Amino acid sequence: MSWDGFVDGLRTGVVWLMDITSVPILVYFAVINLSYLLLIVLASIDFRAQHRRREAVVETFGGALSPGVSLLVPAYNEEMGIVTSVQALLSLRYPRHEVVVVDDGSSDGTFERLRAAFDLVPIPRQIPQDVPVRARIVDVHVPRDGRTRLVLVRKENSGRSEAINVALNAATEPLVAMIDADSILEPDALLRVTQPFADDPIRMVAAGGAIRPVNGSRVVSGRIVKVQMPKPWLARIQVVEYLRAFLLGRTGWSRFGALILISGAFGLFRRDVVVEAGGLDPDSIGEDFELVLRIHRKLHDEKRDYRVGFVPEPVLWTEVPSTLGVLRNQRRRWHRGLWETLWAYRGMVLRPRYGKVGMIALPYYWVFELFAPLLEFFGIIIVPLALVLDVVNIPYAILFLSLAYGLAILVTLSAMAAEEWSFHRHERWRDLGLTLVASVLENIGYRQLTVWWRLEGWWASLRRKKQVWGVMTRTGFGEAGE
Amino acid sequence: MTGRDLLWASSALVLLACLALVLLIVLTKVTRTVRERRTAELVAPHRPHLLAVASGEDEGGTHRDALIEVDGPARDAVDVVVVDLLGKVRGAPAEELASVLLAHGAVDRAPHDLRDRSTLKRARAAHILGLCHVGAALPLLVQALGDPAPEVRVAATRALGRIGEPTASAALLAAVGADRVVPAGPAADALEGMGVGISGSLRDALSASSPTTRTVAAYLSGEGSFSRSLDALRVALACDDDPTVREAAAVALGRMGRAADVVALLRETGADRPRALRRACAAALGELGEPSAVVGLTALLGDPDPRLAEIAATSLLLLGPAGRSALDSAASNPSVETARALARLQAGAA
Repeated sequence: MSWDGFVDGLRTGVVWLMDITSVPILVYFAVINLSYLLLIVLASIDFRAQHRRREAVVETFGGALSPGVSLLVPAYNEEMGIVTSVQALLSLRYPRHEVVVVDDGSSDGTFERLRAAFDLVPIPRQIPQDVPVRARIVDVHVPRDGRTRLVLVRKENSGRSEAINVALNAATEPLVAMIDADSILEPDALLRVTQPFADDPIRMVAAGGAIRPVNGSRVVSGRIVKVQMPKPWLARIQVVEYLRAFLLGRTGWSRFGALILISGAFGLFRRDVVVEAGGLDPDSIGEDFELVLRIHRKLHDEKRDYRVGFVPEPVLWTEVPSTLGVLRNQRRRWHRGLWETLWAYRGMVLRPRYGKVGMIALPYYWVFELFAPLLEFFGIIIVPLALVLDVVNIPYAILFLSLAYGLAILVTLSAMAAEEWSFHRHERWRDLGLTLVASVLENIGYRQLTVWWRLEGWWASLRRKKQVWGVMTRTGFGEAGE
Repeated sequence: MTGRDLLWASSALVLLACLALVLLIVLTKVTRTVRERRTAELVAPHRPHLLAVASGEDEGGTHRDALIEVDGPARDAVDVVVVDLLGKVRGAPAEELASVLLAHGAVDRAPHDLRDRSTLKRARAAHILGLCHVGAALPLLVQALGDPAPEVRVAATRALGRIGEPTASAALLAAVGADRVVPAGPAADALEGMGVGISGSLRDALSASSPTTRTVAAYLSGEGSFSRSLDALRVALACDDDPTVREAAAVALGRMGRAADVVALLRETGADRPRALRRACAAALGELGEPSAVVGLTALLGDPDPRLAEIAATSLLLLGPAGRSALDSAASNPSVETARALARLQAGAA
């Protein structure tokens, strides 16, 4: 075949492809963005009222029905920050909470640092196997002072999920919160996030707390003292992304009564429900998502009246990736976890017995979360190809792209407006300006890269390639005053 | 209209919407900043008076009188600060602050505002009535428990708690399980503020149809040691449908039960009972402090659930010489060793 013939054939193929896909893709874009806007509107309705109520909760220091909380902290080679983290967790404002640290076979000085800082002594406690755990427990320590509510369990290395399951078994309070050792909780976070459990002690089984990037903010002794935008644009864009997807999106789903994802970095659960469900699945990549879906399935199967909610007040600050390599690993893992979990729970999709979860949330995640990068990738390939082959004119293509990305920017700006109206965590004008710029820049390069990485993760799963967690290189919180 | 026209129109619309949102964000920030600055300016001259009254250092009443004299736009700003302060102070300073609101007419307006169309106004009115302990507003606040807006229902609940009139307790407990539900947390706080007069309502609420109402009633019965609830708690422990209610009943019986309750609590530690209930009952037996529980608790030391065994050992330690003697016979049991080690550490700290 001659070159011209090849080009003509390709041109015909591209025209055919564009003909059959243009309307469905436009409809897809419109629906996905409208759904985002709808979620943001739902979230906004909740924001201000909840904000006022939470202040009252903070003033009354929780209240009579505030359940006790066990903070489950898996730690693997965290010697640099573990003492500060545990001290910060122990000093949270809450009437009754304990910290259960599980040292997951660290090879550094994690245990020694904790032993020295809290004067730990061993006790012969046997940890129950409420949730079966494969790894061997080495020993259990508590502070010598007999007052500090800290328990340290050492076990052989077997991963984060098993570490959390061990902590779950060792926990003694009715609520458990899974927290990463390298994150920062706000001092009043527990008072706020337990509020739905105190308000509805029978039906509330799980609640997610809002997570925000800590990069760039000023941290002193494990406490955020000034919220600021980070300097690198990569992190700035993630600030905007977290705001839109995690804060507004999940509040919207919660308001709608179909929240199916609580981030593993900070989730609060009724201990008995997690135990009944079997704890975290150590073989799952998206273990947090998988757990929540398993709880939904179990409670629906048992026809129990229950609630899963989200607390939008920013409560946990975490460091987001500041290099492309780490970000790539994270996004690959997230999408792989999304795919594997959705596939594992495909039996719930469009089944009326699973209510809104089965009829709306899960189909939505399949169509607009799982397949979104595939369709976007198609657009990224086909539009430049069509331009090169001269089958669409340039102004038309630019117009099409402007509309597509304009809608995405509109969604982000709506999320920012809702945030500014309710929480307004970024006080400086400069930060507001940077956030606005980041909402535009997100669509130039960043978005396309994440599309590719997500597809990589999906592809790796389909090829049954072993998941490598990689190392989350942390630059630290820029601690001041220490 | 052609496809291209539609695309143009859509793009223009999206662009306009984006610009409008940017403007909205900026305006929101500007408005808030200006409002906060303006409020701070209005309140600044009166802040020394506010602080003096709130800290109880206004012996002659001059600062309170100065606050009462405030008029114009500053009056509303001062009232907002007074309401905030009233949520934080008690006793004579609170009464002085309330008198400022009374003199400014805020208290007189509140009953009327409770019927306003604005949710914010209704919630604020309920809040003020509670802060100023306006007992005459009780029927209105009870009515507000059924308000369509959750914010107003919560404000009314808190207001009833501040007024502390136990006659409202039955309505409040019923509202916890109503269609327009009052959250259990604020309701329990409010009921705690009503004193011993709620005992009858608590007893009745233990047989309510809503498990949330029964949980709140069981919890508060134990917290306040309301012995009128004892029979109902025993029934709840033995046969309530909801495991949360049964656990709350077990905890309450542990706090105020009688020797006869040992048998009932021990029965619920049976291997066929839910794990959480077994543990709650074992702990309750320690709280109860009846030596007749020793045999039953000793049997639990060998339970396959090590957490239950440890709780049983801890409870035995609380039962005095008989309990400690029972532990001696199982000294090598890890659960016993753990309970004793923890007790030693706690004793060392004390």
